[in-house]
Amino acid sequence: MTIDFWGLGLQAVNVLILIWLLSRVLWRPVAAAIAQRQATAREVTEAAAAMQAKADAALVEVTQARAGIAAEQTAALEAARTEAEAAAKLTLDAAHAKADALLAAAKTSIAHSMAEAEKRNAAKASDLSLTIAATLLARLDGPTVQSAFLAQLTEAITKLPPADRAALLAAPDGIEVVTATDPGSDRTAIEQAIRTALEGPATLRFVTDPDLIAGLELRSAHFVLRNSWQADLTQVRKAIKDAA
Amino acid sequence: MNSPLESVAVFHLGPVPVTQAILTTWVIMVVLIAGSFLLTRRLSLIPGKRQAALELLVSGIDTQIHETTGVAPAPYRSFIGTLFLFILVANWSSLLPGVEPPTATLETDAALALLVFLSVIWFAVRRTGIRGYLKSFAAPNVLMIPLNMLESITRVFSMFVRLFGNVMSGVFVIGIVASLAGLLVPIPLMALDLLTGLVQAYIFAVLAMVFISATVEDGQPAPPPPPTVRKDS
Repeated sequence: MTIDFWGLGLQAVNVLILIWLLSRVLWRPVAAAIAQRQATAREVTEAAAAMQAKADAALVEVTQARAGIAAEQTAALEAARTEAEAAAKLTLDAAHAKADALLAAAKTSIAHSMAEAEKRNAAKASDLSLTIAATLLARLDGPTVQSAFLAQLTEAITKLPPADRAALLAAPDGIEVVTATDPGSDRTAIEQAIRTALEGPATLRFVTDPDLIAGLELRSAHFVLRNSWQADLTQVRKAIKDAA
Repeated sequence: MNSPLESVAVFHLGPVPVTQAILTTWVIMVVLIAGSFLLTRRLSLIPGKRQAALELLVSGIDTQIHETTGVAPAPYRSFIGTLFLFILVANWSSLLPGVEPPTATLETDAALALLVFLSVIWFAVRRTGIRGYLKSFAAPNVLMIPLNMLESITRVFSMFVRLFGNVMSGVFVIGIVASLAGLLVPIPLMALDLLTGLVQAYIFAVLAMVFISATVEDGQPAPPPPPTVRKDS
């Protein structure tokens, strides 16, 4: 047995060269690929974990926000309900007040209308009664009534102040003696009685006015002495109106 | 059949005789380097079948180194991996007709054992320094220095003899059987030789790693004693 030391050395060099070359073309590239994949996997895993953590945080945030939104919604609904109730109450109160005001106004209007109606009825009734009275009194127009009115006229003239009587006597246009019907034969007596009551020579002119119903009146430019059923009824009507 | 204990030069390069084993080694080197270059040309982040097989090989070697030594495999990967790959391919080259595996010769196995011997020194000095390497001979005590020095030689010698004996014997037996019984009879022995070649490559690589790690560990400074806990009563 012999050992070829040249061959031994050459084989050792061959294996050393093989170790060096394989480390360059096999071991290092493959190990680098494995390390790169591991690093990439680690990065991806870390990124996924970070994303997971981010997603979890976002989920928590969304959950909290949802809870906040629900609470806010409940509060908003409660506030809206309270506001609606207050508005409804205000509207109801206003409607009640308005209805009360309308009711009061209606009552007042009704009362006023009733008062007006009563007044109108009273006026109509008084007019009717006065018309009836005038119709009835017209039927009583006779010498007796005429003499009574003459007596009342002369009495009223005598009760006039002297200054008024003097003014009547001094009226430039004279004095109108108004009768309801033509006095006829009583004209002279009437003139005599009036002049006597005036205590002077007055200028008298007779005028017929059926509206007097019955009676005698004196009229001048600035003076009227009423003495007829018409004047009486007018006073009655006025009194009734004043009473209403 | 030539004697397996003798190497016959095919030709000479000056004073250097080039034997059949050296030629086969060169062919194996070219195949391994070219194949590695072709296989690792386009490595991607998402591996295909070819890349996955390569990564499985590298990961397996890394796992073996880590489980054997307990340290990071990167510094030892090229040396141990190349030893395993070269011995495996060399052992299995006997399956090719007319090819005698380089590991069936004394020179190749001796060269591999010599490299392991030197690598033990190299890695130990790199990790622990010259003092650490020399200190590794005094483990567990100085009385073991002669034995440890003797062991550092004998263990690589045993590796060399084991690899040479197994591979050479396999080749020799297959040659004898083939010459006596024809072509088909050696096939079971060749299948067994496949297993033997794989196991011998694995054993050689693992033993080399064990020797390196043992020397590195023995050269490490002693760890500080664990802190004692005193209880005040």
